[in-house]
Amino acid sequence: MGLIQRIIEKEGIATISISLSRQVTQKVRPPRALYPGFPMGHPLGFPNQISQQLNVLRQLLFYLKTIERPGTIEDVNLTDPTDPNGDRAAY
Amino acid sequence: MSVDVRQLKNKAAAKLLTKYPILLKQWAKKATIITFSDTPWSPLTTEINQCRLALVTTGGVRLKSQPAFNMQDSAGDPSFREIPDSISLSELTITHDYYDVQDAGKDINIILPVQRVAELKQGGEIKSINHRHFSFMGHIKNHHINTLINKTAPKVASALKKDGVDIVILTPG
Repeated sequence: MGLIQRIIEKEGIATISISLSRQVTQKVRPPRALYPGFPMGHPLGFPNQISQQLNVLRQLLFYLKTIERPGTIEDVNLTDPTDPNGDRAAY
Repeated sequence: MSVDVRQLKNKAAAKLLTKYPILLKQWAKKATIITFSDTPWSPLTTEINQCRLALVTTGGVRLKSQPAFNMQDSAGDPSFREIPDSISLSELTITHDYYDVQDAGKDINIILPVQRVAELKQGGEIKSINHRHFSFMGHIKNHHINTLINKTAPKVASALKKDGVDIVILTPG
């Protein structure tokens, strides 16, 4: 995904992505990324958790505007300890 | 190994990687991944609430009416699908053997958050949503990487620019 992000950014469009693997993202170095700690297949969190999904999007928009250093990966823990799926996201 | 057996193995591995994230970390240590020392940069000069947004996913989302991504090629499928923003969620499906799609099948917004960005627009948090989003299948290897870098991804980037998109959010599978 980072390869695609780099190409869109080169076209002159500001981009931000969700990282599910910090190690992979560090290698590909996309312009801006958010690492929320969610497992594969869950970049926006878990099904039907609307407030969590909106929270992820708002974090993305915030960091899209505020990241100043190219290649930054923002670590944010958006996993909810009361979420029954929380143990799946805790890594 | 027959294609069917390989696909079954891929799907089983995807379930394990989703359930046990430590396995993903171990995989990432060993995987051959293109590494860059530089980063392209287009600073955002517009306020977010004045921006037109588009989504790009590598989660293998497509319209049911569109051809499936090719899961029989072990090097992946570098093609893309155009997803109209006006689409009904019931018209979407996912073709991707390399992550567990069970939860995304219950709510595709966790991969392509079309309903959530519509709510952000309704609330005035962004100005507009592009009339189309784009979807890839994010398991591209070997010779298909060149196709992705030199053909399909630039085609999508050019389309987004032509559409007047200011910001793009990318989501993996």
